[in-house]
Amino acid sequence: MVIAEIKSLADINEMIKSFRKIFIVGCGECVSVCLTGGQKQVELLSSALRISGRNDKEKRILKGKTISRQCEPKFLEQINKDIEESDAVLSMACGAGVQTLSEKFRKIPVFPAMDTKFIGVSDEAGNFIEMCSACGDCILSLTGGICPVTRCPKGLLNGPCGGSKNGKCEANPETPCAWLLIYEKMKELNKLEELKNINNPKDWSKNMRPGKVKAGI
Amino acid sequence: MSITAMPPCQAACPIRTDVRGYVYAISKGDVSEAIRIIREVNPFPSVCGRICTRACESACRRGQIDEPIAIASLKRFASDETMEQKDIFKTGPYYTEKIAIVGGGPSGLTAAHDLALLGYNVVVYEAHDELGGMMTRGVPEYRLPKNVVMNDIERILSLGVEARTNTALGKDITVDELMKEYQAVFIALGSEKSLFPKCRGIELPGVITAVEFLKQVSRGQRPYLGQKVVIIGGGHTAIDAARTCIRLGSPDVTVLYRRTINEMPAGRIEVEEAESEGVKFRYLSAPLEFIGRGRIEKIRCTEMRFVADESRRRRLVPVEDSEFEVMADAVILAIGYNPRTDDIKDIEKISGKRGTIVVKDDTGTTNLKGVFAGGDVVSGPMSVIDAIASGKRAAIAIHRYLRSLPPKENEEPTVLKPLDEKIIPLIEKRPQQKMAQLPVEERIKNFDEVNLGFTWEQAISEAQRCLNCGAGAEISDECVSCLNCVRVCPYNVPVASEYKPKIDISQCQACGICASECPALAIDIKLDTKEQSIIKLQNAINSAKNISGNNSEIEFYCQYKKIGKPGTETSKETSIGKPCIARIDISQFIKPFEEGCKKVKILACKDNDCHFKECNKWLNKHVNEAKRILKESGLDPEQLTVVYE
Repeated sequence: MVIAEIKSLADINEMIKSFRKIFIVGCGECVSVCLTGGQKQVELLSSALRISGRNDKEKRILKGKTISRQCEPKFLEQINKDIEESDAVLSMACGAGVQTLSEKFRKIPVFPAMDTKFIGVSDEAGNFIEMCSACGDCILSLTGGICPVTRCPKGLLNGPCGGSKNGKCEANPETPCAWLLIYEKMKELNKLEELKNINNPKDWSKNMRPGKVKAGI
Repeated sequence: MSITAMPPCQAACPIRTDVRGYVYAISKGDVSEAIRIIREVNPFPSVCGRICTRACESACRRGQIDEPIAIASLKRFASDETMEQKDIFKTGPYYTEKIAIVGGGPSGLTAAHDLALLGYNVVVYEAHDELGGMMTRGVPEYRLPKNVVMNDIERILSLGVEARTNTALGKDITVDELMKEYQAVFIALGSEKSLFPKCRGIELPGVITAVEFLKQVSRGQRPYLGQKVVIIGGGHTAIDAARTCIRLGSPDVTVLYRRTINEMPAGRIEVEEAESEGVKFRYLSAPLEFIGRGRIEKIRCTEMRFVADESRRRRLVPVEDSEFEVMADAVILAIGYNPRTDDIKDIEKISGKRGTIVVKDDTGTTNLKGVFAGGDVVSGPMSVIDAIASGKRAAIAIHRYLRSLPPKENEEPTVLKPLDEKIIPLIEKRPQQKMAQLPVEERIKNFDEVNLGFTWEQAISEAQRCLNCGAGAEISDECVSCLNCVRVCPYNVPVASEYKPKIDISQCQACGICASECPALAIDIKLDTKEQSIIKLQNAINSAKNISGNNSEIEFYCQYKKIGKPGTETSKETSIGKPCIARIDISQFIKPFEEGCKKVKILACKDNDCHFKECNKWLNKHVNEAKRILKESGLDPEQLTVVYE
């Protein structure tokens, strides 16, 4: 799932300061699940913007709605009327959602209310952790299902490095050393021997931007 | 199981009273709402609050944790506290048809009440000079004061119901005559003809039936009892008669019962209360002969025992050579009752065994067109709530008959399941409130009511013990399957299923934390819905602004900690009570500021002093987040304060 964070209210205010009728669009997919861009946050952001604009000469008019998937143009049809009645749109979605909105409604400024962070999962303790860098050349079969490209700050393919201390990473003492995790997992899988193989450098040509996957409809 | 599943208390009630609804209203100190809910289905709350057989309490799921909710006592509280409220909804008449009710007991009067509310002209015929049936003639005043029964009856009459007393069916009127004047007749004669044991000597002076005895006493007469009184029987009436004898000053009162206390129709509590007043009980004893010269002097009895027959059923048989004698100056017979219909000629076509009337189904329809019957005359003696239920069913059946509607289909409700074993230890134990009673030495001197009713504090505290079964969380289609509810529930009720999470409504404790944490606002709690919360908050904000303008302040408080009699400080219009404040989502804390309020104060409970679990953890999270938003929006976060009390 795509993990995103809400921008600071100051940043959002700066983007929309010259607009009065603002429509906030939440997304019912990843950003709802990671608790930052669902209907609850749409309502809180709209309250916050109303409070922070309380001294404006002309009052802000804020409306909001969450649609099931912002990166799907067909789902965007339902907000045609709301868009018509607005001066600007604040998208509470990942960058893909913001761009889909922006492409669909070309005559109105669409601003991102979120910073898209990464592909990750919940750690069950209220945090979301990055798990995948979308490198385009998956090597999880070699590393016991743990991605060193993402979870090792150096992206080492043959680790660990000398900075692994007590199972933690020298770059951030709260981060477990990915290569230690890989070692433990391979041990559980009785595959420790395989770690003696040297992994070749990745084929980064598969990471060419912008990526494109042909699904063939 | 859907959110509409019925709490077991309601399902067990013969008239399906919304127990959860009125108990919750009392927990908020709102007795007017409580009595409104009760009276919606029950015209006799003061009676049922005192002498109901309380199937609801046996079904109450709180009993799985400690003790059931004292439901009947709470009903009595709601009724006692609103005795002066005479806001009666007077209706109709909408229809021209007239209906005769024969019998002014609980069944007949309930039918009269419901039919009057439906908009019919109703006349009640009563053989005695007073309405109420066994409620006023049978149950002694120390258990059910006559004035509270009369209060309920007056309300029924105030709906426009006409009562013709001293008019007996078979003597003063006949069914045929009634059917000429009325379009439907409901026969609810009761069951007051006493049964007699098959013994010699029952004709002796001094041998009296309990019904006759209690009736005489209720009219202020004092039958001769002498020194030693023996009551034969083990039902409520037997105990009522015994305790009445004590109050009339009899020094030696014994109840003789052929079975043991375990088989007694009267409850164990009644037996204990009677014993504490000095009544003696002799079990497994039956009379053989009443003996005396011109007046009862003694009873020849035998001991009884249970034997298992071939079909393994226990049978009661006399013990050989166990005869004994009991001295008695008076004997009161309370072994059972049948309806008294033998001298009513024109209902022969519908009469059944032992004086009963035969009906086709539980709506009370009989083989005579337009004639319905219900209550004890159909079933033999039963509880007052069953009589009320029968009157209600008959009222609907009569209405449908007169309006040519098809009979109402019986819908069996889906009932909540018992609490899971793993939830039970997570719920805090709180013992049931015990109602104060008159001290024994005082109550045996008069007929004053023994049970004194709950105080406000007791009633609210008792009502707050209710688990609000089935008023918990419901997930809407807006759910995005984030499974946050699964992670935050302090009772581990939500579970991840194949697609969306599921919340078992039978187990949900309605704490509301999942709803306040749901990112999609997809969970609502029936106990305190989002819609209700928004309305309450908006009303409070409007009042606050009216009262103090730009200096307005809103206060949230925990209903479980700070509730009192109406008129006390928490009933301020700007204060919002919540069934636990952990359920309040951040937007409710922010909204008043959006509307220009100056301050929001939260009265929180101290740690470990909480009705649900982990409340302060969630409250702190919501408050911190709200403060961050206020700060970012340019307000002082200290405008939102939490006070731990």
